[in-house]
Amino acid sequence: MIYDPRGTIDAPVLHLAQRPASLRGLRVGVLDNTKWNGWKLEDRIATILAERLSLGPVRRYKKESFSRDARPELLAEIAAESDLVLTGIGD
Amino acid sequence: MTTAAANPIHDAKQTPEDLVEYYFEQAWSDGLPVVPPTPEKIDAVLDMLGGDPDYIEAVVPPRRGGLTRRVLAINIVMAGCKPEYAPVVRAAMLALTSPAFNLNGIQATTHMVSPLLVVNGPIRNAIGMNAGHNVFGSGNRANATIGRAIRLILLSVGGGTPGDLDKSTLGSPAKYTYCIAENEEISPWAPYHVEHGMSPEDSSVFVIGGEPPHSITNHIADDAEGVLDSIVSAMSTIANNNAVSSGSCAVVIGPEHAATISKSGWTRHDVRNYLWMNAGNKFSALSFNDRYGKIYNRNLPRWYKRQPDARIPIVPSADDIHLFVAGGEAGRFSAFIPGWGHMTSPVLLRIDGTSSNAAAMCEDGTCRL
Repeated sequence: MIYDPRGTIDAPVLHLAQRPASLRGLRVGVLDNTKWNGWKLEDRIATILAERLSLGPVRRYKKESFSRDARPELLAEIAAESDLVLTGIGD
Repeated sequence: MTTAAANPIHDAKQTPEDLVEYYFEQAWSDGLPVVPPTPEKIDAVLDMLGGDPDYIEAVVPPRRGGLTRRVLAINIVMAGCKPEYAPVVRAAMLALTSPAFNLNGIQATTHMVSPLLVVNGPIRNAIGMNAGHNVFGSGNRANATIGRAIRLILLSVGGGTPGDLDKSTLGSPAKYTYCIAENEEISPWAPYHVEHGMSPEDSSVFVIGGEPPHSITNHIADDAEGVLDSIVSAMSTIANNNAVSSGSCAVVIGPEHAATISKSGWTRHDVRNYLWMNAGNKFSALSFNDRYGKIYNRNLPRWYKRQPDARIPIVPSADDIHLFVAGGEAGRFSAFIPGWGHMTSPVLLRIDGTSSNAAAMCEDGTCRL
């Protein structure tokens, strides 16, 4: 007899969001994951994007801890207020 | 998405001759030979666990594999456990998968952290755990295989494969097995779980994300302050994660050191408070005197003073120092175990999976009430 020690995965399949046809006027959310250099990276990218593209308003958000999930309330807030979200890690 | 058969039993007609090699080939191992599970061995563990074998005890991140009692039993057998160890492994997995512990982060981080298990109460002796000489080392089946069962589950069910979902830069020997018992019999103080609101008759398992133990030697001091100043010295470095990300840590006091401290009349409370009051760094050391800009150390608690001469404690409160007495009766040694940081909170559960209400915290461990 052979026994598989891995257990099964029972999770819904999630699909990536559709890419927008144009970035013009879209609201951008920037989520700081609070790693040491994360904000430097994200802020620079957001600034460059705003300079080069005709984006809508840019809003900034901050996670409580870089390793933990963002709070569901924060995710709901970002989803309601943003068309695009930028986040990243910066050790 | 399903990546493994719902029924874990492969076709018996295809069973290979050398099962140990077969489990190696499937990467269902920690790098050491596993005990090939048999129906009899799995049933013996399932009898200890009780209930429906298909009941999901936990979902193990980051792979999010379902830890049914049957899958738990398979891993317990593969690790070399006796069936009577099973309740300890189950309680540890419930603690590790509680939101406060953030197992997802522990599994995936580049840091070398591994869960340390500390067992308290009558079950230690009932299953023959070692709380004495070489407590962190080899030679005891219960300590070794309970810790190993946890690692096999984190690898196989949790998908913590090195380089894939486990991104640890260096790893550590504690990623094979990391499980001890408190030496309650020799300790001058109440056991850890009693300090945290449980009864001496309760059996419990405590989990904390930690580095391997760092030895503390002191063969000179004949009072509490002297011994504890050596522990303070080991705790006060800018290089461990506590220094830059706060969180929690563990201190394991050897029996000879514990006797010296206790002879000075000091309690657990006194010890933890002394360590907290004196261990830490100056902010100027942590911030490298602003050599790399002022953003550094933004992950320390917001109520710390960001001034060059301010003392930055190694953890935010004395309650974040988890104190145990363990080891053999001879030798003037203790150990410091730095934690992973504020990204994880330790969890204490009774062996039946229930918790004490003594340590209230937000469900996900991110705030303090």
